[in-house]
Amino acid sequence: MFRDDTPALELRGLTKRYDDGTLALEDFNLQIHSGAFFGLLGPNGAGKTTLISAVCNLLRVTAGEVLVFGQPHDTLEARSWVGLAEQDINLDRFLTVRETLEYHGGYFGMQEDEIEQRAEEMIQAFGLTSKRDVRAPKLSGGQRRRLLLARALMHRPRLVILDEPTAGVDFELRQELWDYIRRLHAEGTTILLTTHYLDEAELLCEEIALIRGGHLIARDSAEGLREHFGVNRLEDVYVKAMAS
Amino acid sequence: MTGLVWLCKRETLRVSKLWTQTVLAPVVSSMLFILVFGLSLGGRIKQVGDVDYEVFIVPGLITMGMVQAAFANNASTIFQARFDRYINDVLSAPMKPWQMTFGYTIGGIVRALAIGLSLLVLAVALVDVPIERPFELALAISLGLLLFASLGLVVGIYAETWDHTSFIQNIVILPLTFVGGVFYSVDVLPSPWEELSHFNPVFYLVNAVRFGFLGQSDVSVWLSLGVTAALAIPAYAWAQHLFTTGKRLKS
Repeated sequence: MFRDDTPALELRGLTKRYDDGTLALEDFNLQIHSGAFFGLLGPNGAGKTTLISAVCNLLRVTAGEVLVFGQPHDTLEARSWVGLAEQDINLDRFLTVRETLEYHGGYFGMQEDEIEQRAEEMIQAFGLTSKRDVRAPKLSGGQRRRLLLARALMHRPRLVILDEPTAGVDFELRQELWDYIRRLHAEGTTILLTTHYLDEAELLCEEIALIRGGHLIARDSAEGLREHFGVNRLEDVYVKAMAS
Repeated sequence: MTGLVWLCKRETLRVSKLWTQTVLAPVVSSMLFILVFGLSLGGRIKQVGDVDYEVFIVPGLITMGMVQAAFANNASTIFQARFDRYINDVLSAPMKPWQMTFGYTIGGIVRALAIGLSLLVLAVALVDVPIERPFELALAISLGLLLFASLGLVVGIYAETWDHTSFIQNIVILPLTFVGGVFYSVDVLPSPWEELSHFNPVFYLVNAVRFGFLGQSDVSVWLSLGVTAALAIPAYAWAQHLFTTGKRLKS
């Protein structure tokens, strides 16, 4: 649907040094083509969440450039193209399920009639119909996770960033979320997924990047990575890459 | 502009959802001040200048209720949004920094106006307080709310715990309000307290609002409005600077 030649995401020399001196990303370069399903793997502290936060304007970049579909990431246009489901549940405690989606749509510039219709669509797609008027703190963990994903998709972003979306969820919900994400990708949405689950990355992602200590270690399809590292399983690739 | 409208709606919704805490409680407590200090103590003090004491204290009490609400509302809404990290939904949205600053400022102003109007209606019914200079009154209230709503945002952005926001409220704003001439005219204070009162910014705001209601105050209304504006504009600019640079909002 959205496929074109401009990369969905381009990082040029992205560097982030936090105020305490920690260097989370150093001269990081990455290009993800439009319509890709791209996985980002790495241990805790590798720089995955920092990278995502930089793309979504949630941190102050130290140096480098971030382009979303060719536009600088801090432009209003680029912001409207990105949908983010963060790793931690960060739902507005004062809003109900319906309001969470509606307000998000409003923040992202959707029109009133479109907001209502899309919110209803999301509520149904994520099985939250009976909870539409329940406030976020009263939802179960799984329902909150679904709402988080629904919120990220509410404004029909061209680039969806999922930061460990299935962390801590049960098997059934994980399958449900996978199905939804796959459908989304099939419709042409570019997806950037970070995960600790190697099976998840292998199953879903067309291409995987391994990062450690703020640097890109390797990038290829799961098959390509196995060949490159001369092993049979992605787990072994991961172990080798992180040890090198 | 759609994002700004929805952020304003969200901040107003928060005030209305919590109306017993955000509006009713401050109105009740300010009314108690009017009843206790005005109607009971007022029987002994009689008049300040040529104004009945129970009428004299109403402008100051309305000011006190409004500025405290504007500050507390914005400090808590922004701190909570940071603490629970749902502020990210706004920070990542296609909104300009000025829209974020304005949107987050609105909640405190709406809450303060709801309190102020409720108190005004009750005060008119109870002690028949006049409004002699509506233009100056509107200007004084606008500047006062801008000042304290902006300060609330700044404190909520810098705060690392809930205690920090309540510390500023209880240790700085509340005492300054109490000694800002809400309950008395500073003319009656002995030296050096009268002179020291002129270093209290709330004194000027209370006097500007009092001038709007009663047509008289301890100092020139234009000096009062000037001092309040000289504080309100940098306070708002400070809040705007934080949203523009992302300092304390983005790591």
